[in-house]
Amino acid sequence: MKDVAVVGGGPSGLAAAVRLAEKGFDVAVIEVMGELGGMLEQCIHDGFGTKVFGETLSGPEFAERFVKKAYSLGIQVFLNTYVKQVKAGGRVKEIVAVSPSGVQRLETRAIVYAIGCRERNGFEIRLGGTRPAGVYTAGMVQRLVNLYGVLPGRRILIMGGGDVGMIVARHLQLEGAESILIVFPEAGFAGLPRNVQQCVLDFGIPFKPRTVVKRVIGKERVEGVVLTRVDEKWNPIEGTEEFYACDTVILALGLVPYTGELKLGVRIDPATRGPEVNEFFETSVEGVFAVGNLVQVFDYVDDAVETACIAARGVEKYLNGGLKTSPVRLAPSGKVRMIVPQRVEWVDEENVVAFLRPAVEKSNARIELRSSGGKVLERFFRRYVRPSTLERIEVSRSVFSGQREVETDIADG
Amino acid sequence: MFSLESKVASVLKKHPYNISFRIRDNIVFLEGEVESHSEWVEIGLSVGRIKGVEGVVNKIRWKGSGREVEKEEWRRRVFEEKRSTVVGEYDVVIIGGGVVGAALARELSKYELKVALIEKSTDIAAGTTKANNGMIHAGVEPPRGTLKRRLNVKGNAMYGRLAEELGFRFNRVGSLWLITPRTLAAYRKYLPGPLYSLVLKHVLPLVVKIKGLINGVRGIRVLKGSRIFELEPFATRDAVAAVFIPSTGVVDPYEVAVALAENAEANGVEIHLATEAVGFIKENDAVKGVVTNKGVFLCRYVVNSAGLYADEVAALAGAEEYTIHPRKGVLLVFHRDTGVFTRHCLAEIILPQDPYTKGGGINPTVHGNVLWGPTAVEVPDKEDTSVSREEIELVLNKYSPIIPGFPSDRLIRFFAGVRAATFTEDFVIRPAKWVRNLLHVAGIQSPGLAASPAIAEYALEKLREMGLRLRPKAGFNPRRRPMVAAASMSLEELDEKTRMNPAWGRIVCTCEFVSEAEVLEAVRRGAKTLDAVKRRTRAGMGECQGSFCTLEIALILSRETGLPLNQLLKEEGRLFNGHVRGEHV
Ligand SMILES: Cc1cc2nc3c(=O)[nH]c(=O)nc-3n(C[C@H](O)[C@H](O)[C@H](O)COP(=O)(O)OP(=O)(O)OC[C@H]3O[C@@H](n4cnc5c(N)ncnc54)[C@H](O)[C@@H]3O)c2cc1C
Ligand SMILES: Cc1cc2nc3c(=O)[nH]c(=O)nc-3n(C[C@H](O)[C@H](O)[C@H](O)COP(=O)(O)OP(=O)(O)OC[C@H]3O[C@@H](n4cnc5c(N)ncnc54)[C@H](O)[C@@H]3O)c2cc1C
Repeated sequence: MKDVAVVGGGPSGLAAAVRLAEKGFDVAVIEVMGELGGMLEQCIHDGFGTKVFGETLSGPEFAERFVKKAYSLGIQVFLNTYVKQVKAGGRVKEIVAVSPSGVQRLETRAIVYAIGCRERNGFEIRLGGTRPAGVYTAGMVQRLVNLYGVLPGRRILIMGGGDVGMIVARHLQLEGAESILIVFPEAGFAGLPRNVQQCVLDFGIPFKPRTVVKRVIGKERVEGVVLTRVDEKWNPIEGTEEFYACDTVILALGLVPYTGELKLGVRIDPATRGPEVNEFFETSVEGVFAVGNLVQVFDYVDDAVETACIAARGVEKYLNGGLKTSPVRLAPSGKVRMIVPQRVEWVDEENVVAFLRPAVEKSNARIELRSSGGKVLERFFRRYVRPSTLERIEVSRSVFSGQREVETDIADG
Repeated sequence: MFSLESKVASVLKKHPYNISFRIRDNIVFLEGEVESHSEWVEIGLSVGRIKGVEGVVNKIRWKGSGREVEKEEWRRRVFEEKRSTVVGEYDVVIIGGGVVGAALARELSKYELKVALIEKSTDIAAGTTKANNGMIHAGVEPPRGTLKRRLNVKGNAMYGRLAEELGFRFNRVGSLWLITPRTLAAYRKYLPGPLYSLVLKHVLPLVVKIKGLINGVRGIRVLKGSRIFELEPFATRDAVAAVFIPSTGVVDPYEVAVALAENAEANGVEIHLATEAVGFIKENDAVKGVVTNKGVFLCRYVVNSAGLYADEVAALAGAEEYTIHPRKGVLLVFHRDTGVFTRHCLAEIILPQDPYTKGGGINPTVHGNVLWGPTAVEVPDKEDTSVSREEIELVLNKYSPIIPGFPSDRLIRFFAGVRAATFTEDFVIRPAKWVRNLLHVAGIQSPGLAASPAIAEYALEKLREMGLRLRPKAGFNPRRRPMVAAASMSLEELDEKTRMNPAWGRIVCTCEFVSEAEVLEAVRRGAKTLDAVKRRTRAGMGECQGSFCTLEIALILSRETGLPLNQLLKEEGRLFNGHVRGEHV
C-alpha cells in the first residue's frame, strides 16, 4: 500500500509528489501519457518558473527540474496508465488503472488529483457554420507544431485574445504561416501586457478587437469565416458581417478544469468549474486532494505548483491524523467572480493562501474579507485589479475564528 | 375524369408565375422562373401531391439558383479520360454506399452474383447515413398508402435479427409520445371547457393508437397519470396522457451501415471507396457501364442509391424522373451523463405540427448520450450541413418543455444532416421508365434507416422482376465479427486482452475510453481517415471533442498507413494543411 497516489504527472502533480517524497512518504505518480510533464511539454516558449525557480525557463525545462527530482527521490512512476475507477470512501482507497501491462489495482491512503484542464472547444461557444477540417484548439496546434513540426494550415485565423492565442500566433508567424489574424470579443487583449508586446505588436500581427466568428465556411476544408463585430455585451452588431478567407481556425478560448475525468462524486463549484476544496486543497471526499489547473485554471504554472505544495502539507496532516473544526465557508460576492479555497476547516497555525478572480476592473482597489454581519475582517490593497488577472492573498487564520461564512468583495481603495 | 394534364395545369394556376410543364409517363417536368427557393419547393410539392403523379422533375429556376458548371465540366472531363479503362465486369453495380446501398449489397451477397458497391466518399456512411437520429421508428407516422409506411413497419421488425447477425448495437427502447395541454392549444377555441381535457385524455390517444394499428404497428398502449412517470420519471408533469410504442428502437447508424458493408464484402461484394459515378456508357435503352474516376464498371444492372445525388445520377443515365429537394435537420448531442433523463424516444405531440421541427423530439442513443432534434428546413444546397446559433436555440426552446429538469448545458456537440426528399415525398423504388436495367432506390428520406433492411429486400425483388437471376450462394455467412470496445468490457476481460496485446491497455481517447487496439482494428477494417476511425471507435466523440486525441489518432493513422501527418484526411479534406518544418514553403 502506498501512502499517496498522485494522479497526473504535470507540474502540479509532480510538485506534490516531490514534496511528499521529501517528507518521507511512499508516493506513486500515475500519468496517462507516455511521459511526465503534462501540458508543459508542448510549451517551448519561455516564461515559466519566474516565481518557483526565480528564473525564466521554457516549459520542458521547467518540467525537467521536477521530473529529475521525482526520479532521484525514488517515486514510483506509472506511465501510459489511465485511472479508470477510484474507491475513496474509506481510509484505504483503491485506484483501478489501465496500462499496456494490464489492469492495475493500487491501494493508497491518500490521493492527490492533478489531472489539469482541457481546452474549451468550438461547440461550447456554439461556433456556427460547418464543421470541416481545419478547426483546432490551440493546445493541439502547439503539440502539432512543437513536437512534430507540422503546421496546421497556411492562412490562419485565431479566436481568442488571451495568452495562449497570442503565443500560438507568434509561433505560427515564426514558422512561416502566410497570414494570421487574431480576433476577440473584448475591447483589448485579455492576456498579459508582456505577451501583447512580445507576441503581437513586435511581430506586427494584425488583430481585431470586439470581433467574433459568426460562421465557419467550407465543406471539406475551411475556406473562410464570416466575422462580425460585437458590442460591449458581446452581442453581434448587425450589418458588420464580413468574409475573411483562411484555411485554418484556431480556438484559443480558455481552459476548463478536467472534472469529467474525476471518477468519484466530489462536489463541483459552478464558479470555478473545478472541485470544491478546503485550505489544503482537499475535496469534499476525505483524503482526496485536488491541485493545479484541475481546481481552477491558473495564469501561471508557479501558482498551480504552489497549490500542490500547500496540498502536500495537507496530505501530511491528513496522514498524521490532524484535526478539523467545523468549516468556515469562503464565499465570493458582488465584485468577486470566484475564490479558492471554498472552505477553511483544518486546525492549523499558518496563513490561508487563497486565489480569487475579480469580476470588475478597478484601480486602487481593496480586496475585503467580511463577516456575514458585514464587518471587515481583513483587507488587501491592490493598485489595479482586472478579471483576467488572478489575485493571490494570504489571509491570517484569526480571520476565520468564530465565523461560519466569510465573504470576499472588492471596494474602492 | 380529369386528365393529369388538366390537374397539373389547375394546380400551377394557383401560383402567380408562368410555369410550363410537360408530362411523360406520369413524370411531370416543370420549367419557368420564380422569385425564391421556397416557392420552388412549394410548387414542386403542390404538383407532387397530385394523385397519379409519379415524379416531379423541377427545372424551375429561382433568383440565385445556378447550374453547377464546374461540376458538370469535371464529370465530362473524367468521363472522357476514363471511359475506356475497364475496372471489371459485374452483374450489379450499386451507386452509393449509405445504409441503403450497403443493405442491398449485403442482400445481393446471398446470391451467386458479381457485385460492386461504389461510393464517392472515403468511407461508407459518409452521407446522410452519418447524420440522423439513429431511430428505428415503429411506423406510426408515415401516411397510409405510402411505400415508406410499408417498408418502415417491415424494416423495424427485421432489426432484431440483423443486429444479432451483424453484431451491432440495437436497443428496442420504445417511444413515448406525450399529450399535454399544449398539444391542441391551437384548437382550444373549438373545444370549450371540459371538452378540451376530454379530447386530450381520451380521444387523441385513441386516434393515434388506431392510426398505428392500421399501419400494422403492434403493442401500442395508451398511458395516463402516474403510469407515464413510472416509465419516464423525468417527463414533464404536464403530460395528461401518453402513447407508448414499444417497438421503436435505436442504433448507431454508421455502425449499421459499416456492419452491412463489411458483411457484404466478406461474402464477395467489391467495395470501391473514393469512386464516383460521373456518367454512363449506354447502348440503346440499357446501361452497359458506369464510368467513374477509377474507370468503367461494366454491368448488367445498375442500382441508383446515391442519396442526395440520386437525381443527378439518374439524369446522367437518361432516367431523370425526380428532383431531390434537400431538407436539413439540426441535431444536438448531450453528454453521456444526461442519459439517465430519458429511457425512451420522447416527443410531445403538438398539432398542427410545426413544419420546421416536425417529427423531432428527444431520444437516447445506444451509447447513452441524448439527442435533441431534428429540425426540418428546406435548403438549396445539398451539402448545407451548417448549424447556426439560432437553430440551436430553436431546438433547445422547442424541446425543453418535454423534460424540464434536463441539464441542457451538457450540450457537447451539434451537427446537421440533409434528407434526400423528392416532391412526391415517398420512397422511389422502381425500375427506371426509360432505361431498361436501372433500378431507382431514391427519395429515401426518414424513416430510411429504419426501413433499410426492408428496402433491400424490396429492391432485390424488383431486380428479380427486371430479369436478374438469383441463385443462392452456398457459402453465404450472415455473421460479422463485431468491433469490440474497451468501454464495454469488464476490467477482467480488459486485463486478459491487454496481457495478450498491450495496445488494449493504451487508452488514446480518455473521454470515451477508447484504446489503441480499437483504433488499430478500425484501420485494419479499412478506416483511412480521422472521421472513419472516429465513427468506428468513438474516439473524439466525448466531452473534449477530440482536442486531446485527434493528434494521437493521427499519429497512429500515419504510422499504419505510411502517410505523413500532413497528408492525412479528416473526411475529404486535409486534416492538417500546412507545410512541414524544414521543408521548402
Ligand atoms: C497553450 C498554453 C500556454 C501556456 N503558457 C504559459 C506561460 O507562458 N506561462 C505560464 O506560466 N503558464 C502557461 N500556461 C499554463 C501552465 O502550463 C499551466 O498552469 C500548468 O501546465 C498547469 O499544470 P497542471 O499540472 O495543473 O496540469 P497539466 O499540465 O495539464 O497536467 C495534468 C496531467 O495529468 C494527466 N492526466 C489527466 N487525466 C489523467 C488520468 N485519468 N489518469 C492519469 N493521468 C491523467 C495528463 O496527461 C497531464 O499530464 C500555458 C498553458 C497552455 C495550455
Ligand atoms: C436530421 C435527420 C434525421 C433522421 N433521422 C432518422 C431516424 O431517426 N430514423 C430513420 O430511419 N431515418 C432517419 N433519417 C433518414 C435517414 O438518415 C436516411 O433515410 C438514410 O440515411 C438514407 O440512406 P441512403 O443510403 O439512401 O443515403 P446516403 O447515406 O446519403 O447514401 C448515399 C451515398 O451515395 C453516395 N453518392 C452520391 N453520389 C454518388 C456518385 N455519383 N457516385 C458514388 N457515390 C455517390 C454518397 O456519398 C452517399 O454516401 C434522418 C435524416 C436526417 C437528415
